Amino acid sequence: MLFKNHYEPLAYAIFIAAILAAPLVLDEFWLNRFSKYLVFGMLGSAVALSWGYAGILNLGQGLFFGAGAYMLAMSLKLASPTSLQQGSSTPVPDFMLWNAEPGAPTQLCCIVKGSALWLPFQSQWFGVAMGLAVPVVLATVLGSVVFAKRISGTFVSIITLALVLLVRLLIIDAQPLTNGFNGLTDLGSFHIGDFTFDPYGLESYYLIAGLLSLVLVGTRLLISTRAGLILQATRDDEVRARYLGFNVPHYKTFFFVISAAICGVAGMLYVLVSEFASPTFMDLSFSITMVVWAAVGGRASILGACIGAILINMIEAKISETKALVEVWKAIIGLIFVLVVLFLPRGLGGLAHDLCRGLWRRRVSGTSPVGKTGTISHPAA
Amino acid sequence: MIDILFIGLSLGSILLLVSLGLAITYGSMGVINMAHGEMVMLGAYTTVLCGKWLGANLFVAIPIAFLVTAAIGFAIERVVVRRLYGRLLDTLLATWGIAILLQQAVRLEFGLSFFGIHVDGLGPGLQNVAVPTLLQGTVAVGAVALNSYRSFVILVTLVTTLATWIILNRSPVGMQVRAIIRNPHMAAACGIDVKRINSLTFAFGSGLAGIAGVMMSGFKSIFPDMGTPIAVDGFLVVVAGGLGSLSGTVMSAGMLGEINGLIATATNDTIARAVVFGVVILIILLKPKGLFSFKGR
Repeated sequence: MLFKNHYEPLAYAIFIAAILAAPLVLDEFWLNRFSKYLVFGMLGSAVALSWGYAGILNLGQGLFFGAGAYMLAMSLKLASPTSLQQGSSTPVPDFMLWNAEPGAPTQLCCIVKGSALWLPFQSQWFGVAMGLAVPVVLATVLGSVVFAKRISGTFVSIITLALVLLVRLLIIDAQPLTNGFNGLTDLGSFHIGDFTFDPYGLESYYLIAGLLSLVLVGTRLLISTRAGLILQATRDDEVRARYLGFNVPHYKTFFFVISAAICGVAGMLYVLVSEFASPTFMDLSFSITMVVWAAVGGRASILGACIGAILINMIEAKISETKALVEVWKAIIGLIFVLVVLFLPRGLGGLAHDLCRGLWRRRVSGTSPVGKTGTISHPAA
Repeated sequence: MIDILFIGLSLGSILLLVSLGLAITYGSMGVINMAHGEMVMLGAYTTVLCGKWLGANLFVAIPIAFLVTAAIGFAIERVVVRRLYGRLLDTLLATWGIAILLQQAVRLEFGLSFFGIHVDGLGPGLQNVAVPTLLQGTVAVGAVALNSYRSFVILVTLVTTLATWIILNRSPVGMQVRAIIRNPHMAAACGIDVKRINSLTFAFGSGLAGIAGVMMSGFKSIFPDMGTPIAVDGFLVVVAGGLGSLSGTVMSAGMLGEINGLIATATNDTIARAVVFGVVILIILLKPKGLFSFKGR
């Protein structure tokens, strides 16, 4: 059965309707902010998919997010007016000029060592394609090696964590190519044909809201397929799934890649509305923050994790308006996190699930709280 | 060449000091304590506070930092970690929350800053500790002049490692800890109070982190966020060395420290750190159990 209960599709429908209607009440400034939160919601869902359903706690989601962001940002950087007006036939990013050796030709091909890598990014669609391809390829390679070796649990977390920090350091070190710590700023805007996406405009918002709806519904349908069920079986007992004849690494890698692809898309969308890409996307704290969103929203709930991310960020934005409370908010987040892990391991999604079940007085069999291995055997709304 | 190897050894000894505690809590109890770096941070702040409020130097701070962080570690185990045994990934998340709380506690001066009270030595800014004059300058070993403070750090690391080894392998409590490492259920069945031992182990591991913090304060600026990268390094050392293996941790700390030192001399610090990450990833991929893991059943 696709949905175990009536209220789950209803919850998705209400949420999608809400984000589509949100521009009615938001001004331009908040529209831009809210677009970012929707992107974070997408990240939350990606974490829920890999953590809640595949049992892979990836502490390096920032790698895929950052890869997507950087790829599109490179294209948009070349499209920015400053890059176009450097007096050469090819656009040249301003920071390359600052880092170039005296007398180097002002051409994208050879201004600094390796800058030829930037050449194809003159096409915006190449950037978009790479923003999807790089996370997918990275995740495929990483996943197939790690899961084929039957590395699991905390070791996967440590590997992904080390990898994201490794890439972050490489980006920082390659200052002439990537602008190091400062990241890529002063970007041009994304356009389709003659139409330009204004980061503060309604069109950008609807692009993001539409893609988020697609991701939510798509992921939710995906985990109800046969492959999704096998994946959940794998999560609950990997050895048994293997003995039943399933190729466990294939299923894990597949969903790991899907999660990475969602993060890549999210990275691109984030660049679209925030107009920068920086190594902070690959900070350890950002990757763990994504996990926090998913944990608070409900790790075993695609929609819950998404809402968790949006809620946390909205509250944070509200509270941060008072200067004195900025630091306190971080402490509150820490506290919430400890409390959620201790007392609400299934997050808000699990809570909503239980509440709805209570309201309808429907008996859903097979609900079990947290299992021995720290995974949840019953997905909530 | 010897001076480069010495720098590597000194980096390795810091790594070892940080990961000793983790080798016990993560390696033995399987608890991924993300707040371990914050224990290092608290150890460093203890040194600062000792200097400012007691007028005490670094030597005095070592035992005080050990006791303070051990007590905090004990409390964390009792209140949070204990409820999460068997939920490994969840301890990672809960201790991350604790880590944030500890950072903010220091940054907001335990909340006193709201009442306009400023505690000297806390707060969001950078802190520094003066190295005692005894440890300034260099010592001559043969024909090579070595930095005194770095030599002192290596000495402290040697002593704490030795002490840990003796406690683990030559004391009744250590025997119980080793029994729990091999098989907690069987240990419990044999009458070992697993909960009590786990609290003590966790406190001891945190205390070691506190000592690492004191040592760290001698050559690094101290700030509330300093712990996270330190803890990450510690995890990498322990995982590369093999869980539950003290000698593995020692070997891998030395190895990663030397790699870091050598590469940093040849290129720069950023690349050196990146190479260390790369090496650890390779080790996990090739030998998921770590280089020197013990053969358990």
